[in-house]
Amino acid sequence: MNFELSQDHRVLQDAVRDFVEKEIKPIAAQIDEEHQIPDTLVRKMGEMGFMGSYLPEQYGGAGLDMLSYAIVVEEVSKACGSSGVLISAHTSLCCGPIYTFGTEEQKKKWLPALNSGDIIGCFLLTEPDAGSDAGAIATTYRREGDEFVLNGSKIFITNGGYRGTGVVFATSDKSLKHKGVSAFIIDLRSHGVEILKNEKKLGIRGSYTTAFALDNVRIPAENLLGQEGQGFKIAMDTLNGGRIGIASQALGIAEGAFERALAYSKERKQFGAPICDLQAIQFKLADMWAKIEISKLMTYKAAWLKDNKKNYTMESAMCKMLASEAATFVSHQAIQIHGGYGFICDYEVERMYRDAKITEIYEGTNEVQRVVISKLLLS
Amino acid sequence: MKILVCVKQVPDMESRFKPDGSGTWFEEADLAFRMNEYDEYAVEQAVQLKEQLGNEPEVTVLSIGPDRVNEAIKKALAMGCDRGAHIQDPAPQGKDPWQIASIITQFAQGEGFDLIFTGMQSQDRGSAQVGVLVAELLGFACATTLVGFAYADGVITAKRELEGGIKGIAKLRLPAVVTCQLGLNIPRYPTLPNIMKAKKKEILAIPVADLLKEEAVASTARFYPPARKGGGIVLEGDVGNLVEQLYGILKEKTTVLR
Repeated sequence: MNFELSQDHRVLQDAVRDFVEKEIKPIAAQIDEEHQIPDTLVRKMGEMGFMGSYLPEQYGGAGLDMLSYAIVVEEVSKACGSSGVLISAHTSLCCGPIYTFGTEEQKKKWLPALNSGDIIGCFLLTEPDAGSDAGAIATTYRREGDEFVLNGSKIFITNGGYRGTGVVFATSDKSLKHKGVSAFIIDLRSHGVEILKNEKKLGIRGSYTTAFALDNVRIPAENLLGQEGQGFKIAMDTLNGGRIGIASQALGIAEGAFERALAYSKERKQFGAPICDLQAIQFKLADMWAKIEISKLMTYKAAWLKDNKKNYTMESAMCKMLASEAATFVSHQAIQIHGGYGFICDYEVERMYRDAKITEIYEGTNEVQRVVISKLLLS
Repeated sequence: MKILVCVKQVPDMESRFKPDGSGTWFEEADLAFRMNEYDEYAVEQAVQLKEQLGNEPEVTVLSIGPDRVNEAIKKALAMGCDRGAHIQDPAPQGKDPWQIASIITQFAQGEGFDLIFTGMQSQDRGSAQVGVLVAELLGFACATTLVGFAYADGVITAKRELEGGIKGIAKLRLPAVVTCQLGLNIPRYPTLPNIMKAKKKEILAIPVADLLKEEAVASTARFYPPARKGGGIVLEGDVGNLVEQLYGILKEKTTVLR
């Protein structure tokens, strides 16, 4: 048994850290304030290979493993949670299902532009009345000749504002529930795709969270992903892998907040000594670090299981749950350690606190993760 | 053209250094290591020259040390070097610059390099001797502390940083050794696809005993932290009084007002 990263993974971690330190950290506050990740940064992350890290080289990916992907999202999220979820949603939720369920023609057509980051991907499942209950989606599709015609609405779509490529879910007959759901690859610049709004949010403000209306959107029949009626399975399988990405994002946010809290506790003097000399602060740091380490172990383990083609459903649910709860806890405590300064935007931990909360909600709420874990325990 | 780049792996300079048991080096156990900063400029310049010459030159990257130095070699391979040479030495810190230079020379003599790049010094030991010693041992031309590099028709035009901010231009005919300084270039990031490609590149593994023929000519007598200086002076009083006190100190104890 070996809990150390391999030399290759350390080389990668070092390279990503260097990039993040110079290219992302200096503008993380700006990304939050302006509610946008600059196009130049998106392009640079594409050039670095962040947008298709674990996809095979033959489709323009970097050909690395899931653990490498987790490290990329973690390191990026230490500085900027918005940039972390850009990569995670794009890779896990769009490149992932096209690679896993797509035909050779579909992979060749869609993946190279996605993996290079020239086109940003998203995942259109959630609807106003179908969140955790994904089988209840009401967006419909019908076949007309060589096309499928989609009608309905989608909300909370991460990366939607880029109008790139999406994997969209629709039903042929709502009464069939999850058995009626199919998945399609959609060009979000197609006629009939309308952005209703990009949401204003508590955190991850640099990330688009978009509401779409789909009004008689015509999709070529060749864009059907998998078989008709297989959509629900595709969605669940995709989210299963996606949880490793969100766990990595949450882990990164927690580590970013911890680094700042630790440094501040050594600098800040009260009662004639650094506040890290106070046991009240020491215990906070110990609790924070323990939660980070347990989250990291579980996240890396889930990635390792996926890399080794072992079942990872339980671990991906657990790592997402543990890491997201670590992120909210650690960023919350980081503000407390900063005292009044932590409440002020200049000290960044307040941004991390705001960014952390969503990780308990998206890619399956933590309540859903508990359902997944307990179902497996009792099955 | 055959190019060699010599890189060293050094501790993260923000680490806390403690003397080790021998009292002649620092405790390495808990330190994070990375490529010496000046060597990154050397790698970048070598790769830029390779690109300038239509990728014809073969660039070999060499590092001496324990297994961990493969990380620095792999980074250089991901930045564009073609093959690595790991000189396996569990304790390179015990060797003086003369021995290190002679090891590199032994390796280089069998390879027929035309041009050798290295950092102007290491961030940990900082002797700045290895590059020039290798040049001397091989009988190559040498220019140090490069902040500019151009190559055409077998001649290097090297812009050197001299004392007091003065720059000098040197022209060198190949074969040559150049040592690289901050400001020469901005090292590229190893991209993920290139990190993946680097995994397939060859890394030679050579035991240091095969190359080490020289005795040390210098040894480290003692490694210790400097004595703690007394605390700073805290000035007190109103602003006018503070200015007077500060002015007095600057005038008497420094040269800034003379």
